Amino acid sequence: MGLESEVAQLRRGDLDALSALIARYQNRLYRYLLRLVRETADAEDLFQQTWVRVAERIRQYNPERNFDAWLFSVARNLAIDHLRRVRADSLDEPVSSEVDGETKVARLVSRERPAVEGMLERERSEQLEAAMGELPLSYREVLTLRFEEEMKLEEIAQVLEIPLSTVKTRLRRSLDRMRHTIQARYPN
Amino acid sequence: MDGKQRIVKEHDKLRDQLSLAAAGALQPDEEQRVLLHAASCAECAAELGEWRALAGGLRRLPTPQPRGEVVERAMARAAMRFAEETEYRSNRRVMVFLVAFAWILTLASWPVFRIVSGGVLDWLDPRFNQTWVSFAALTCFIWATGGVAATLLARQRQSERRTA
Repeated sequence: MGLESEVAQLRRGDLDALSALIARYQNRLYRYLLRLVRETADAEDLFQQTWVRVAERIRQYNPERNFDAWLFSVARNLAIDHLRRVRADSLDEPVSSEVDGETKVARLVSRERPAVEGMLERERSEQLEAAMGELPLSYREVLTLRFEEEMKLEEIAQVLEIPLSTVKTRLRRSLDRMRHTIQARYPN
Repeated sequence: MDGKQRIVKEHDKLRDQLSLAAAGALQPDEEQRVLLHAASCAECAAELGEWRALAGGLRRLPTPQPRGEVVERAMARAAMRFAEETEYRSNRRVMVFLVAFAWILTLASWPVFRIVSGGVLDWLDPRFNQTWVSFAALTCFIWATGGVAATLLARQRQSERRTA
């Protein structure tokens, strides 16, 4: 069953379609939320809230709109609300609590996946994740949407509700910042 | 601006776009210009290679997966909310129908009542006599009672849902 028919069936009240959609998006949506909030428990809670919100609003969803962009936009709004509530001081606070030189994000993510890749590749990924975790929210989200979700810039603009030119600027700045962070953390 | 300055300016401009080129975020013609420049500029070629490595690394980041129980709970909560939403919409449709039906009955009963009590043409002249006022008061009372009953019923169902 294709995505469009699943969405159409859910709009008609078919609960099987809801299960199919959750199964289809569970990893991507969870990864996106984890990148935004950086805490496993928060990401899990927001993951559930997102699907509850989808159940509430699916009948208002315009089928002509890109479903990915709509879904990620729903998740993002919930995550932003959550971050405003929990971290009232700043949405972009860096993750400062490090144990043994490892950031919180690196610890969280490394706990969640098995060691199936080569040591070097895993280490490199952890370094990238840690560096990404240090970026401000606005940079993290544009990076994860572009490289992990492989969204087009137009889709990213829809999710973030910003102009296309701003997406480009933000993408370039986030890559610059990422590179500087990596060079500063791992000079060798 | 002499030729050398123009080349340096063009180099700086294209160098700024290297990261976007590696991210696949340029228009085809822009990307073509960047690639052509990189082919003839060792410095930009090396930097483009670094950006590509970074972009590749980001694309290959492992995907953290939600725990199975989290997914199941999400499904259960969403299914329950969806059922509530469906029931709410159905109730609202029934309510709209009943309210419209009740209004039609109410409005139709006034002239019928006048015809029965005061003659065929007299209902066109709604004087505020005692019969008319009593009838209007009775109608308002019935509507208010119905409204209060509906509100209490809705609150009871809400609290039942919360405790379920």
